[in-house]
Amino acid sequence: MNPIFNDIKQQAFQRADCCKPRKEIIRFQNVTREYGSGDHILKAADDMSFSIGEGEFVVILGPSGAGKSTLLNLLGGMDFATSGEIFVDGENIVGLSDDKLTEYRATHVGFIFQFYNLIPTLTALENVALTKKIVKSPIEAREVLALVGLADHAGQFPAQLSGGEQQRVSIARAVAKNPTMLLCDEPTGALDSETGVVVLEMLQTMSRKHGRTVIIVTHNAALAEAADRVVRIKNGKIREIIENPAPKAVSEVNW
Amino acid sequence: MLTRKMLRDMGRHKTQFVSIFLMAFLAVFIYTGVGGEWRGLEKSKNDFYRDTNLADVWLYGNGFTDKQAEAVAGIPGVTSVERRLELTALADFDGAPVLSLYFVEKNEISSLYLVEGTGFDKADTNGIWIDKRFADVRNLTPGDTLKFTLNGQPLQKTVRGLVYSAEQVFESASETLTPDFAAYGYAYLSAGAFPVPEILTYSTLLVKAGDTADLEDKISAALNGKYSIYLEQQNHPSVSMFNNEIAQHKMMGDIFPVVFLLIALLTMLTTMTRIVTNQRIQIGTLKAMGFKKGVILRHYVSYGSFLALLGAVVGLITGPVSLPYLFFPSMSGFYTLPEWKPAFAPIFLAVSAVLVLSCTAVSRFACGRLLRDTPADTLRPKAPKTFRHGVLERTRLWEKLGFNAQWNLRDATRNRARSLMAIIGVFGCTALVVCALSMNDGMEDLKIWQYETINRYESKLTLNENATWPQIDGVIAAVHGEAVQESNIEIRANGIKKTGALLVTDNVTLIQPTDAHLKSAALPADGVSITMKMADTLGVKQGDTIEWHIYGAEGWTESEIAAVYRAPSEQGLAMTRTHFEAIGFTFHPTAILSAEAIAAQLDGVDSVRSTAESMAGWDDLTEAMYIMVYLLIAAAAVLSVVVLYNLGLLSFTEMEREMATLKVMGLKSRKLRNLLLTQNLWFSAIGFALGVPSGMWLTRIIVTMSGDSFDFPIYLHGLTLAVSFVFTFGLSVLVNLLFSRKIRRLNMVESLKAME
Repeated sequence: MNPIFNDIKQQAFQRADCCKPRKEIIRFQNVTREYGSGDHILKAADDMSFSIGEGEFVVILGPSGAGKSTLLNLLGGMDFATSGEIFVDGENIVGLSDDKLTEYRATHVGFIFQFYNLIPTLTALENVALTKKIVKSPIEAREVLALVGLADHAGQFPAQLSGGEQQRVSIARAVAKNPTMLLCDEPTGALDSETGVVVLEMLQTMSRKHGRTVIIVTHNAALAEAADRVVRIKNGKIREIIENPAPKAVSEVNW
Repeated sequence: MLTRKMLRDMGRHKTQFVSIFLMAFLAVFIYTGVGGEWRGLEKSKNDFYRDTNLADVWLYGNGFTDKQAEAVAGIPGVTSVERRLELTALADFDGAPVLSLYFVEKNEISSLYLVEGTGFDKADTNGIWIDKRFADVRNLTPGDTLKFTLNGQPLQKTVRGLVYSAEQVFESASETLTPDFAAYGYAYLSAGAFPVPEILTYSTLLVKAGDTADLEDKISAALNGKYSIYLEQQNHPSVSMFNNEIAQHKMMGDIFPVVFLLIALLTMLTTMTRIVTNQRIQIGTLKAMGFKKGVILRHYVSYGSFLALLGAVVGLITGPVSLPYLFFPSMSGFYTLPEWKPAFAPIFLAVSAVLVLSCTAVSRFACGRLLRDTPADTLRPKAPKTFRHGVLERTRLWEKLGFNAQWNLRDATRNRARSLMAIIGVFGCTALVVCALSMNDGMEDLKIWQYETINRYESKLTLNENATWPQIDGVIAAVHGEAVQESNIEIRANGIKKTGALLVTDNVTLIQPTDAHLKSAALPADGVSITMKMADTLGVKQGDTIEWHIYGAEGWTESEIAAVYRAPSEQGLAMTRTHFEAIGFTFHPTAILSAEAIAAQLDGVDSVRSTAESMAGWDDLTEAMYIMVYLLIAAAAVLSVVVLYNLGLLSFTEMEREMATLKVMGLKSRKLRNLLLTQNLWFSAIGFALGVPSGMWLTRIIVTMSGDSFDFPIYLHGLTLAVSFVFTFGLSVLVNLLFSRKIRRLNMVESLKAME
């Protein structure tokens, strides 16, 4: 695809977008995360500012070591920002206590990991049903499992499932909590491209059909075409934010 | 859901969890089992003493009058007194067994305990209540007639009942260490049953008193010193013997569970550390999902508490109802109690709770570390430990070590907790085995020392108290014997007063005294010698002065200690007849020693005991100890197998990737096995070296509980050392063999795949 054409398209959509604004759900404001001390300070996140609207399908793009995971961890309440503010649904999560952060993760965030991270000793259904222990009224585990097309695999252990199936269980587990956003860290990183497409379609459906905010961190630039919004980062800094008024369906993307 | 995860995780780490369970179980099992046993003994004993109103003080003298009894009864603090006459008779059976006869006044203090027949009746002048143990051996039942000879006069009485006596829980005639129910018994009769009631004089005064402090002085004042022996309950031979036995069991029951508890805690620590390390990503995921720290912590900590609880509960239920019954048969062959029943104590629950709590605490400690990190950190695989080169690795020597040694040294120093636990496991095993075997050796050594090194005679003939010199000379001539006088004495020095034994020898060659190193050493002919243990107890040495008197005699004799010798059982003084007479005593032999086997009945002789019989008796006495020994060895085996297997598994899983890599590189399975074996052997060697002295130390502590009269020689025997070596290292190699299959089956591809 021609990048210049892309730019023109983008400008046009930016204009279009201004007329039907989505409700802002996430806002990063001058967020910095430093590691180490003294002379060896590493800025994994360097003055990041951007916002995400409710129900958007967002792709965060960047090469290895750009600070993608840091961004995700900060947003997911799994790490502490050194400075700046992160507003989620109007509340600043920077500086929250440990317990408050746990509560935040429980109610607002559904994680999907590259290596699925299912509990190996629990069956697919039990992995999803774990959410019962976390939130008061999760979506019924069987129902969510059916949603990801795994109703027949409920009794199987992760080791008995294929990678794609495992990742779908992990999506079901994240969705079951009925969270504000789904945070996906290279969700197709361990999958072959065909299976990857199935998983991504599912995530896109979560956004389009079910109105969930889905944020995907990846180094695969092709996915940008399917996103409502693309955040490009490099060396801990935000390089570019692209809004995409007519994103493609995942299946239409040229991989 | 998390409970299911826990149970399935446990399934995956079976061995570790089974060992935590086993150790928790064994600790509680042994603690409550042995505890239930000795507490049961103590309870039965106390009930027995209480029910039969066992005397607090025994006073012996030459006939206590009504007035004297009243005088003692009038002492403030004394609640009641009763008199009785004690005499020795010979029952009309094979071997003329000795029968202690008690002609009792009221049967209110130290009363008899009726097992069968009719109760004691002081108006019954024709009845006799006889020792049930003796009656069983001699087939006596109520209604039978018992014939016996008292002071040469034949008598017969009708058996009214079979009884136990609280004074005879440990029942032993003076010449044997062990009870022989065929050769010795006791019987109760009413005072009116005495052949000539008009001349009956009471030899014993039984006293019940609330407080015995200063009682002897008060009694002495009330009686103007007209008594010969004052014996308090805790010094009564039966009472003190049984108390020592209980103390010994208590000691073992208290020490050994500690070893198992330690191992349980160590196993818990290593297992939980490993599980939470392996489940790092899972923990991170749970955190990311929004599980509260407390929930995650509780989940992991519950692994430990759950198993410890399970082990403790099973131990608590099975211990007190099984172990005591292992001891009771041999104990009851030796002691007489109306009831043999284990007792349960609230402390069992408390100790079990402490065990569960400490396992929980250790588990909490192991898991706590991981939860401190942020979820983001936890989700990242742990950075590999950075290793520095050890001191040894920088020396020239390092280069000279083979790959095997280098690899193992690195592995051991970099997994310190694991190494430490292996050493402690082997250490515990060795200490238990060495303790068990050396206790066994001690028993055997004491027997050899007593019956072979010191006693050179074949038979010991106990003389009748009233034997005349012509009779005695006749016996000496008939058996080519040598005369000795053995008396009970009291010795005092440095403000300590002890009861002991006096041995007076008349040109005796059949007793060879021994020195501190158990080597034969003649005692000075002109002077008083003291046994080593008695000297230690009194805090005296050669050249010091002691005071002593024979039971029954009034006044004290002062003697200077001419020599110290060592004796296994009876502790006290020894001297020659010459010296005994030189300081003003009259020699009156109580026994004749002979190198011959004696079959004939001799005039003036009450009983004959062969050395073989005595040795057999000693074996009976030590049977309860042997059970303890076997129990310890079994426990040691379980301990070492569990710990070593567990550790082997632990290191095997931790090193699986390394192993697979080495295998891929072309190292043969056998070499890999040797790699693991080397480490096992090193740890075994260190644990063994530390365990041997500790085991010996443990044994010494236990034998100090065996009472004042025994002096156990505790030496490390070569055979014991060899057996414990083979035992410990054998188990170590055995456990290693279990892993050789695992190595052969090691799937190189699978092991080298991604982390989780």
